[in-house]
Amino acid sequence: MSALDRLAERQLVVVTGKGGVGKTTLASLLGRLLAARGRRVLLLEVDPRESLHQALGTEPSGGKIVPAGPGLWLHNLQPAAVIEGLVHEKVPLDYLARRIVESPAFHHFVEGAPGLKETALLGYAYRTLHHGRRPRADLVILDAPATGHGATLLAAPGLLAQAAQGGQLGDMAADLAAFLADPTRCAVALATLAEEMPIQETLELLEVLEARLGLRPDLVVANGLYPVPPEGPGLELLKTRHRLNQAELARLRAAWKGPLVSLPLLPLDRGPALIDRLAQVFLQEDP
Amino acid sequence: MSAGVLSGDLLVVVGAGGVGKTTLAAALALGSAKQGRRTLVMTFDPSLRLKDALGVGEAALDEPIPVPGVAPGHLDAALLDAKRTFDRLIHTYAPDAAAAERIFSNQFYRDMAGNLAGILEYMAMERLFEMRASGRYDRIILDTPPTRQAMDFLQAPERMMHLVNNRAIRFAMDPWWDRKGGKNLGYRLAAMGAMELSDRLVGRRFLLDVVEFIRAFAPLFEGFRQRAEEVQALLLAPETRFLLVAGPGPDRVPDAMFFLRKLQETGHGLGPVLVNQLHPKPEPGAGRGPGAELLRFLAARDRRGLELLRSLLPGPQEILPVPLEPNPPGNLEELGQLFKNMINTKSL
Repeated sequence: MSALDRLAERQLVVVTGKGGVGKTTLASLLGRLLAARGRRVLLLEVDPRESLHQALGTEPSGGKIVPAGPGLWLHNLQPAAVIEGLVHEKVPLDYLARRIVESPAFHHFVEGAPGLKETALLGYAYRTLHHGRRPRADLVILDAPATGHGATLLAAPGLLAQAAQGGQLGDMAADLAAFLADPTRCAVALATLAEEMPIQETLELLEVLEARLGLRPDLVVANGLYPVPPEGPGLELLKTRHRLNQAELARLRAAWKGPLVSLPLLPLDRGPALIDRLAQVFLQEDP
Repeated sequence: MSAGVLSGDLLVVVGAGGVGKTTLAAALALGSAKQGRRTLVMTFDPSLRLKDALGVGEAALDEPIPVPGVAPGHLDAALLDAKRTFDRLIHTYAPDAAAAERIFSNQFYRDMAGNLAGILEYMAMERLFEMRASGRYDRIILDTPPTRQAMDFLQAPERMMHLVNNRAIRFAMDPWWDRKGGKNLGYRLAAMGAMELSDRLVGRRFLLDVVEFIRAFAPLFEGFRQRAEEVQALLLAPETRFLLVAGPGPDRVPDAMFFLRKLQETGHGLGPVLVNQLHPKPEPGAGRGPGAELLRFLAARDRRGLELLRSLLPGPQEILPVPLEPNPPGNLEELGQLFKNMINTKSL
């Protein structure tokens, strides 16, 4: 069974990794591949500077759900907006809800409460999947925010459930934590680069996920590998960078025995042509 | 040759994650030390390779330590750790040991210390201020944690000030909580209503934790507020300059522009923009093989990124292209070479 086969059976795939390691590329790639498997996929992007649409060659979401190809939708959303929506839903009086949302105390609470924003995002993904009789999407891919540690996002519901025990928020967070911990429903895909710091961070993240949450990612993807350069003068940079990549991959391999897919650096700009080409490589690398 | 990159007594190196801020900050610091300025570089989470290059270990978490082998000149390095700084700060401002202990044992503090947005950035500023006030250095170079969503560290002092001025805090400090205050009935009923609602939503224990935290923290607020104001003034001072590091290629330009706009809006002094890790063109004679073609594509892509950035910059902002070296610097000599590349490159 390939890593993609396993991802295709889940409801939520969280794509995580530090900024600048090709998380967005991986999220769009998985979106394409899983939609091609017949899933109805919603890609959730959290960064206010939208870039998923560029990878897919569609219009930006602008905060709405927009189609991005057969069986694929795209939604850029803001954690603050999700939380405000939640307040409006929970507080029946519109006037009261507005007062709450506009109060500075509420803003400080949203900023300061541990795990609240992250939980709201994951909660949104969960509700999208379980909303009504026929939700638009049956698989959500969350392109995790670039800030902070990947473990912060995944640990948030558990943390909040503990902090806010006994309230509705705490109950909701506890449900979410159980959902995330269920390997038949949720998956984590890690993006990285085969360079020293990104590999170091990936190794640390793998350790933290296992130790703190008992989570094992279903897939690790190393992006942007320099190819084996043909012999020839003037290619010293490529040769050295290729060697560096291979050494770092070996370091990752020594600690990570699960599925690992390496994707090459290609002479293509971010866009659908790049995603198509990477999709071909991915399928070859993930038998 | 660019002289502008090292002007200013305090240089704050900013940019998105993975663009090489930490390495460039170290190279700049080394260059500054060699020019005869007593220099301190403060950095977050450097790679092992860079730690080796600077010859500093965990000891630098507590105190700046001298980088061995820098001659002539003097260079210190300090590593930043938010939780440690925060804990130390509480020890400094708490009126007595019992007050400090109340904070350390509070569940909300323990959850929050590493999680509160901007706390890491604020703590960096704290340390910076301490070092600056010590008068030990002619120049301090501060590497910043990657913040893509917002320039959290710029807002951090302000946020801290807001937090400690917040009405919610005064509310929590109000004796009605003890149910023995002399408030009028209407006020108490309204407060109880608000409490009932929030109790239903977030649970009583959480609220009590927060209230307890705020109360334990209250004696520290004045010190915090004052410090936050001073830090903010320092960041806006004329001798402080922000150096933005951007990644190569057009895809990274929006990130750079986002940072630039924020810095300009907030009136912070800008130095040159460093565009890092540009692929050089393949040498003549590299042929037409796939390797040479890839390198050509990457060099052209990075060039397009530079041109895009140039066209979007509002003013005569200097851009310094920094070429990608085959190997990331692993010792002082290679860091020194990186600095030379930086200042010898032709600025745009």
